Amino acid sequence: MTRQHGWLVVALLLTGCATPPDQVRLPQGAPTRIDLDSVPFFPQSRYQCGPAALATVLVASGSTTTPAQLVDEVFLPARRGSLQLELQAATRQRGRIAYQIEPTLESLVAELTAGRPVLVLLNLGLGRWPIWHYAVVVGFDAERERFVLRSGTTRRREMRASRFAGAWRRGARWGMLALAPGSLPAGNDVRRYVAAVADLESVGRHEAAMRAYQAGDARWPSSTLVQLGQANTALALGDTARAERLLAELLRQEPANVPARNNLAELLAKRGCRDAALIEARHAQAIARGGPFESAVNATVAEIEAMPIDTFACK
Amino acid sequence: MHISSFRKTVCLLALFAFANQVIVPHAHGAIIGTDEAVAAEARNADLARISRVLSDQSVQQRLVSMGVEPAAAEARLAALTNAELARIADELEQAPAGGDALALIGAVFLVLLILELTGVIDIFKKV
Repeated sequence: MTRQHGWLVVALLLTGCATPPDQVRLPQGAPTRIDLDSVPFFPQSRYQCGPAALATVLVASGSTTTPAQLVDEVFLPARRGSLQLELQAATRQRGRIAYQIEPTLESLVAELTAGRPVLVLLNLGLGRWPIWHYAVVVGFDAERERFVLRSGTTRRREMRASRFAGAWRRGARWGMLALAPGSLPAGNDVRRYVAAVADLESVGRHEAAMRAYQAGDARWPSSTLVQLGQANTALALGDTARAERLLAELLRQEPANVPARNNLAELLAKRGCRDAALIEARHAQAIARGGPFESAVNATVAEIEAMPIDTFACK
Repeated sequence: MHISSFRKTVCLLALFAFANQVIVPHAHGAIIGTDEAVAAEARNADLARISRVLSDQSVQQRLVSMGVEPAAAEARLAALTNAELARIADELEQAPAGGDALALIGAVFLVLLILELTGVIDIFKKV
């Protein structure tokens, strides 16, 4: 192998190891220093940084709770800690959206700049030898290269930015917001937002989900995902007329939207409008072929076909 | 045969999860949920996990054996979405459980120190 080849191999190996750099580009005019001093502080008890950190972001979002109230919901004694999944579930139990931010330092800084503390999972150990810890990021100082955290028993812990970035990266850059329904994340990822609100919907928090979808609709007026969520929530709340209006509007915008057409067919069937429902269901069936909703739509068609003709007056 | 209440609850929850995603579409039509629309492509993966939960009916029992009060364990499972319920069986033992920053021991501290010294120094870049 020639010397040149050798260098090529080294270069390729280095490319293979390269991870995205932990860097934050602060847009012009953006503050270089944020300290959300009004975010409360709950010093943790032994092993209970989960309840303490969760209470911090929940209270900052306007909820009234304490770490002691959360222990029974999120602390897992045998693991001497808390699972991310249960922190999210407990957030939703208080009518808040458990929103997972995009896994970048930039989105973390964007949320802080928007005034929202971020609950993060840090690995203070190594990949193979982890020491998992939850803390709440409440600020940064770009001049001094620091992040500011509510952590453990320290109200205002300054952490070198490079050290924080490493510990956060080893925690898979997991960061969660507790969003009060109606307020929106700084990030512009509508799918991520709807996924978080849909989880509220799944656990029966329909009123909160409706407020969240309305706020989402104001920001992303052309998002059919937001419109579908809003329509499904209206239906769950018993507002059939509103759901129908929303679905019709969505379908004008995107005629081949299978879930919307299927749900409109279901809605019409429930109103007793067999013929109209069947037209929508068959239309949905034609466009659902081969897609993820094929069997669901086939079942809708079968159900409507089995309905007795003209039993109900279609109102 | 005696079936304890936590087993019953887990069965019911698992069946509920299963019914929502699998049984209902075959039996009769249903509303396609927003969560399904968002996760359409991840659906098959979720179904596989759900059938795993069905075969493992002891999630709540495991929560209790890990020190959670039986009543709290029931409420905690009820607070999960279908997809989360399907995941938690795997996560109980393996997933990160954030607990304590005070448990640093000497060797780890030394490695951390080296990592810190060799790590990126400047994080913030002003454009």
